[in-house]
Parts: sequence; structure tokens; C-alpha cells
Amino acid sequence: MSDAHESDVRGRDVPADVDRAATDAHDYDVPTDEPVYRCDRCGRPFAREDWLRLHRGIDHPDALDDEEVETYRDAFADEQAEIRRFRLKALGALILIYFGLLMVYAVL
Amino acid sequence: MARRRRFAAIAVAVTVAALALVGRASAHGGSLGESARRTVTVPTWLFLTTGGAAVGASFLLASFVTDRSLIEAIHAWHRRARVPARRVAVAAARVVGVAGLAAVLVVGFLGPEEPTANLAVLLVWVGWWAGLSMSAYLLGNAWPVLNPWRTLAWLLPSLDRSYPDRFGAWPSVAGLLGLVWLEVISPLADDPPLLATTVAAYTAVTLVGAAVFGPATWFRRVDPPARVFRYYGRVAPVAADEGGLRVRLPGTALSEAKLVDGVDEVAFVVALLWVTTYDGLVTTPAWRDLLLPVVTAGVPPLAAYLAGMLFGYVFFLAAYWLAVYASRRTARTFVAAEELARRFAPPLLAIAAGYHLAHYLGYFLNLAPALAEAALTPFSAPAAVLVLDLPGWFGGVALAAVLLGHLLAIWVAHATAYDLFAGRLQAIRSQYPFTAAMVLYTMISLWVVSQPEVTVPYL
Repeated sequence: MSDAHESDVRGRDVPADVDRAATDAHDYDVPTDEPVYRCDRCGRPFAREDWLRLHRGIDHPDALDDEEVETYRDAFADEQAEIRRFRLKALGALILIYFGLLMVYAVL
Repeated sequence: MARRRRFAAIAVAVTVAALALVGRASAHGGSLGESARRTVTVPTWLFLTTGGAAVGASFLLASFVTDRSLIEAIHAWHRRARVPARRVAVAAARVVGVAGLAAVLVVGFLGPEEPTANLAVLLVWVGWWAGLSMSAYLLGNAWPVLNPWRTLAWLLPSLDRSYPDRFGAWPSVAGLLGLVWLEVISPLADDPPLLATTVAAYTAVTLVGAAVFGPATWFRRVDPPARVFRYYGRVAPVAADEGGLRVRLPGTALSEAKLVDGVDEVAFVVALLWVTTYDGLVTTPAWRDLLLPVVTAGVPPLAAYLAGMLFGYVFFLAAYWLAVYASRRTARTFVAAEELARRFAPPLLAIAAGYHLAHYLGYFLNLAPALAEAALTPFSAPAAVLVLDLPGWFGGVALAAVLLGHLLAIWVAHATAYDLFAGRLQAIRSQYPFTAAMVLYTMISLWVVSQPEVTVPYL
């Protein structure tokens, strides 16, 4: 992430000293009655702490201390487990769609 | 590869549905909106369910790709290419564009009366609205160079008034809806002098507007066709870059944050999607039956057509914004609704391009020989108009185009979600409502395609 001629995802050339997250701040609409976890580097608000941890690893990878790296890895691993469960459901849904349609076409 | 097998399974299911469609020869070659209509032999509800299921299934397939760096790499891939003799090529294209405009104006008034033998009609509908649009999303947008009004506007003096920002893209939204409404209610594709008159009127409006606000501002912000081609060009693999060309994978530029930057531009993207649907909707028996009581009650048909246009547009726009607000909830994000709307509108362009291809590819190939013939002999009608007969299986190509547009849209939305959200599962969840909206759009469009075609009623 610190190559001087690095080109970011959108193909713009980003100088090496500019933090990527700071160059594309989004518009936010933060409710007042919910817990908000804010990034202390770029101020982005998140509804869950693990998303903040993930965000730090994704958008500020070069600026993290060891503890933040550790929490990022943990959050990533937790999410991996969640994604595995989601994949099973998605696969189930795909099979259901496919065989459901197959049955309908066979009957008609 | 279980994943590949599933994909093959879905492809088979879709192909079965496609094979169940029987080709039907088109009756009136000169008219617009000549879509690939077929008679469906499976029940309509099943045909629609299959199409909707194909879109839903492609979302599920995309959700298996959770590797952020892979998605970023796919979207960041590009090569730069130089154009040999660029200046000469650009100058030549400008001359071709202006010559085309002159040909439409002259041949429209003085050429043959038969629309399929008249160069003006063929050039505008076959060459420009079908052919150039297709080239814009399949290859790249050449319109800024070809656009004769832009070339002429640069030659004229300009007042360079500042364009009121609060207008944004709204005039081009109104212009697009208005132009398509005009195309539907008037015999613009059958009456060469009328077409030439319309083009002359458009020329006057465009040149005056460009003179007041400056050509750059006018074609960037107001002119509807310029905006249509620019947005379609985003789907394409080639884009003009400073001093050369930039080659990327098709559709990957749609995930860029800077394409659509306001609710007005979101409204334009939805309008582009809607007018393609409307064009087909007005030739369905259902539309005729809906119109019958309205017209017998004394409502002028033109007003009824306008009301239908506006009502459907509001419905499409409302469906999109509903999806945006629902997406904020399913993703539990604090990103503003407007921002989500802006970022997830570009994928709809891939869908619009898919429908456009489905509607116009057959029409274009069918009449391309007639266009070539009319270009050679603009002032005399041939004994028989040369048309290309398309094979019966060609209807499958139209369906494939619709589905491909959706697959691309699902993928781009998926990539955009990964760009926007920190959580990988959060990104997937943000797509539930958008996928639902896409399934709805698909079913509506497939329903239109599956209906028998009638001539536009009460006009």
C-alpha cells in the first residue's frame, strides 16, 4: 500500500502519503439513539465494533499498532466462520431453486 | 467444482426456458421498438419465475466470492492503448457525424417516402438509436466525437452563462422521458419528413442551449442523448483516456464512485431503464385493454400515454428508493441513503444495456443491409428493400442478452458493496433488497417480451 505509483481500486493515482480512506469519505447519516463505533483515524461510524476493527485493517493497514492488527485478525476469523454458515444456506437455496424448477418443468 | 456445476444447472434451466420459445417473424420492419417478441409455450408465470430465479441464483453465486482483493483486482485491471493518427481519426469522425446530420435533414425531406428505403429513417433508428447505442455499451462511447451538434456548437460563439446547479440532471431526465414519449406517440419511424422536422427542431434547441451555456456544459449536463451514450459507455470495455484509450473488463467501470453523483443522476439511470421497458409495454394487449376504458371515458390518448409514462417511471423510481432504504436496514450501515442510491445505480445500466440489446439487435441486423443500400442510393427507392432474415433460434440471443445484463449488474453491485462495507457478510446482506428489485424489474421485462405484439393502440 505504500508504493509511490500505487493506483487505487478506482484507477486514480494516489500519492503514497495519502491515506486511501481519507480520499473517499462517504456521506453518513448517523442516528442519535444507537451505539456508534467511530474510527479515530477517519471518523467513519459503524454500528458494530467488529466492523470498525475490520475497517481499520482494510483502510488503514499501515497505521495499526499490534493490538489493532490482532483485533482485525480475530474479527476476520469470526467473520470467516459466519460466512461459512452463510455459504451452506446459499448452497441450500441454490439447490432448492434448481430442483424446484426442474420438478415444475418435469410435471408440466 | 460444485460451483461451476450449479452454474451449469442454472444455465440449463434457463436454456430450457429459452428453447420453449418459438420464433415469430416480425411483421413491420420499419417501426421502432421491434423487440424480439415470441409466443411462449410454457405458462407465463413459470417463464417469469425462471427468469426471476436465474437472477436470484446469480446473486447467490456472486455471494460465494468473498475475497476482497480478488474483486478489487478484477475491477482495477486495465491496459492503456495508443490510437494511431488520433487527430486524423477524430477529425474524420467529426466530418462523418456532421455529414450524417446533413443527410438526415436533406434525405428526410427529399428522399423516398418508403421508410425502409429512406436513409434518414434508417440512419436515425437503425444506425444511431440501435447501432450506435449497441457500440456504446459493447465497445465504447464514440458519440462525443461523432456528435454533429457538439462539432457545430464548437464552431459557433457562446455566451458561456453559468448553468444553475439546482437544475442538475433533471432537464435531461425530462428530456429523455419526453423524447421517448414522442417516439412512441408519433410515426417518427414511418414518416421521413416528420422525422427530419423533429431532428431540425432538436438541432435548434441543442445549438441554442449550447450557445447559451457553452457546449461542454450543455452536453455534459443537459443533452439527454449525450448522457445516455455516456452512461452506456461505462458498461463498455474501452474508454477514452488522456491521449489514448483505456481498456478494462466489461462493466467494471460501473463500480467507480464518481459516475453518478447526485439523486438527479440516479433518477436519470432509472429513467433509462424505464423507457426501454415502456417502449415494449405500449405494444402489449394488456396496455390496450387498460387504455380502452380510459379512452372511452374521453381522456385524450396522448395524455393517457404521457400518464402511463410518468406513472411507470414513478413506480420504477419508488421501487429503487425502497430498495435503498431497505438496504440501509439489512446492512445496518450508517452510510447515507443518498450515497447508497448513488453507488448502486450504475449496475442498473448493465441491465438497461441488456434490454436494449434484446430489443434492438434483431432489428439492427434485419435492417442493416437496407441502411447500407440507402446510403449508396439515398434519393431513389430500390425495387425491393434488402433485409436480412434471422434464423428462428435468434430469439434465444435476446433472452441471453437480458440475462447477461443482469449477471453483470449483480456482479458489479456485489463489487460495489465490497468497496463500500467493511464486513464481507454485511456487503452481501446489503444486496438483498437490490436483488429483490432486480428480480422485479426482470419479471416485468420478461413479461413484456413474452406478450404478443400489437400495434400501438389509439394513435
